[in-house]
Amino acid sequence: MPASDYTIDLHDVQKTYRGRVHALRGIEMRVHRGEIFGLLGPNGAGKSTLVKIMMTVVKPTRIKGTMLGKPIGDKATLARVGYLPEHHRMPQYLTGRQVLNYYGALAKVDRTHRSRRADELLATVGMTDWANKRINSYSKGMLQRIGLAQALINDPDLVVLDEPTDGVDPVGRREIRDVLTQLRDQGKTVFLNSHLLSELEMVCDRVSILVQGQVSQQGTIHELTAESLRYEIDIEGAVPPDVLAGIASARSEPIAGNPSRTRIILTGADPAVAQPMIDRLRQRQITIISVRPMRESLEDLFMRAVTDPTTGRSRPPGAVANRK
Amino acid sequence: MSQTAAIFHDAYRELNARKLFWITLILSGVVVGAFALIGINEQGLRIIAWDLPAPINTQFMSESAFYKLMFVNLGVGFWLSWLAAILALVSTASIFPDFVSTGAIDMVLSKPIGRWRLFLTKYATGLLFVALQVAVFSAAAFLVLGFRGGTWEPSVFLAIPLVVLFFSYLFCVCALLGIVTRSTIAALLLTLLFWFVIYGVHTTESTLLLFKFQSEQQVKSINQTLEHESQILSQLKSAEELNQQSIDRFESSVASSQEKLQSAEKTLNQLSVAHRITMGIKTLLPKTTETIGLVDRKLVNMDEIRHMTDETPQSDMERAQMEFVEEVRDRSPWWIIGTSLLFEVFVLVLAGWIFSRRDF
Repeated sequence: MPASDYTIDLHDVQKTYRGRVHALRGIEMRVHRGEIFGLLGPNGAGKSTLVKIMMTVVKPTRIKGTMLGKPIGDKATLARVGYLPEHHRMPQYLTGRQVLNYYGALAKVDRTHRSRRADELLATVGMTDWANKRINSYSKGMLQRIGLAQALINDPDLVVLDEPTDGVDPVGRREIRDVLTQLRDQGKTVFLNSHLLSELEMVCDRVSILVQGQVSQQGTIHELTAESLRYEIDIEGAVPPDVLAGIASARSEPIAGNPSRTRIILTGADPAVAQPMIDRLRQRQITIISVRPMRESLEDLFMRAVTDPTTGRSRPPGAVANRK
Repeated sequence: MSQTAAIFHDAYRELNARKLFWITLILSGVVVGAFALIGINEQGLRIIAWDLPAPINTQFMSESAFYKLMFVNLGVGFWLSWLAAILALVSTASIFPDFVSTGAIDMVLSKPIGRWRLFLTKYATGLLFVALQVAVFSAAAFLVLGFRGGTWEPSVFLAIPLVVLFFSYLFCVCALLGIVTRSTIAALLLTLLFWFVIYGVHTTESTLLLFKFQSEQQVKSINQTLEHESQILSQLKSAEELNQQSIDRFESSVASSQEKLQSAEKTLNQLSVAHRITMGIKTLLPKTTETIGLVDRKLVNMDEIRHMTDETPQSDMERAQMEFVEEVRDRSPWWIIGTSLLFEVFVLVLAGWIFSRRDF
């Protein structure tokens, strides 16, 4: 893929804070144009530091790479980027509409355009009725909605959102997800940082898992969970011992909450792996309740990435101190 | 340009939302209103409709001079440069700590605007508070001076840049401390402490200067006495009839005066050294009192002061005081403002450098 097709193309991003705390240790990351990209990681993995480096809030120790084709740190490029920080604080004395006007002006949106755009966005995020009320009277969810609107005021090519659904009710979350997919449909790139794995799973085209300042896994959810593809066959009663004999990829386990049934698991993505087992079960007149292809969830993938294979425990949170 | 305008517009809204801004403005109105209620006539002061016999009357000074002095000493010297300045510092001390607080700073640094421009624009908005306050105060004082004092004095408006300048010396320190500590209370208290220190240096320098002039007058006076005594002594010695008793008395007197002279010259020397050192320190610091004093210089000239003191100074003390006033008023505005601005530029560059390099 040519470099111009990457909205974000990062190489060797390093950040060492005072006290020799290595927050980022050589990040390699590519975000394609027009996709929703999810950044995952446990607390202290360096997600916010990476986002802040892209947004020029934090200065990197070392960086190579581009954002929208320009070197990271180029201020002019930020006119094409929308950003909603995690714990944002907007001026409390402003109304929702004034917030959009203020940040729109800072993002170099001309007066007539931002006024029209503010009206559109207030409607998009469902805040038209509250537009002229001061934001100090807003709930957390309302603040998130206005925060999202301000990130879109400059009609950005790239939207970077840090925990956009934090404090938002289920209806609001659904609406925000819809906004994100609309943005993708318009060819915009969305860079999403969230702890809500189920939310990310629903909207992200690709994800990157950050663990202790390094990219642990990166790709589409389909690619990352390919190894875990399997077929699950639920049957009535126990599995006769000879049924599993000779099929290396097969194993059985009881079904939690239903002791009269058993589950047979066959590892592999090809439906062919399930056919011999189905034949054997039918020959023995065992009742098959269901046959379904399965893959691990994003949460399983995440837990696998953050678990130390040697100890079997999750890696300690926080950035890594100098190990020299 | 629209970015700068947006930041200023936001600063205005922020001021508008602060009750203290309006309280200070109302208090400014009360102070100017009080000016308008006080006048002078031939007998003394006239407060609304009550006459109060006082040595300050139209025989002592003109009505316009009275109002000018009130504006300079009470309006600018006391209200604007002390009480209103403290209220302004309290109101604006939170500008930078709030600005760099987590969550707020991310929202602006992520916009296409350079950190230096952001810092300097935000700094300028802090001065907006004082500029608006002084503008309203000066306009009201101009009207009072015109209608009540009978003199239309546009130089009253000189208070606007000078008071803003004076406040900027303190606000740059407040901005630096706000960025470094990110705490409003720390920034405010340390700025007030800094103000106290520079006021202390100014007072020490002024006191030493006055003492130095007094000491010079003393040396001059002893010299004159010594010269006089030496003349008499030489006359006594050259007289045909020697009056040994008088000669002894004058010799003793001359010796005593010489001792006094030596002592006075030593004191003068010490005071001169101490004053030079204090002056050196003062040169490096902003000159708040003297910057405000420039309003006084412009509005009230030296002849008016001499006219008010009415007579030629008689004692060494009076002469020293007059010399002190002249010396202080003769200090170049370029030196006062220039050295203060050098300090301000240094502090701003330091604060801006920290702001431009810091991770938030």
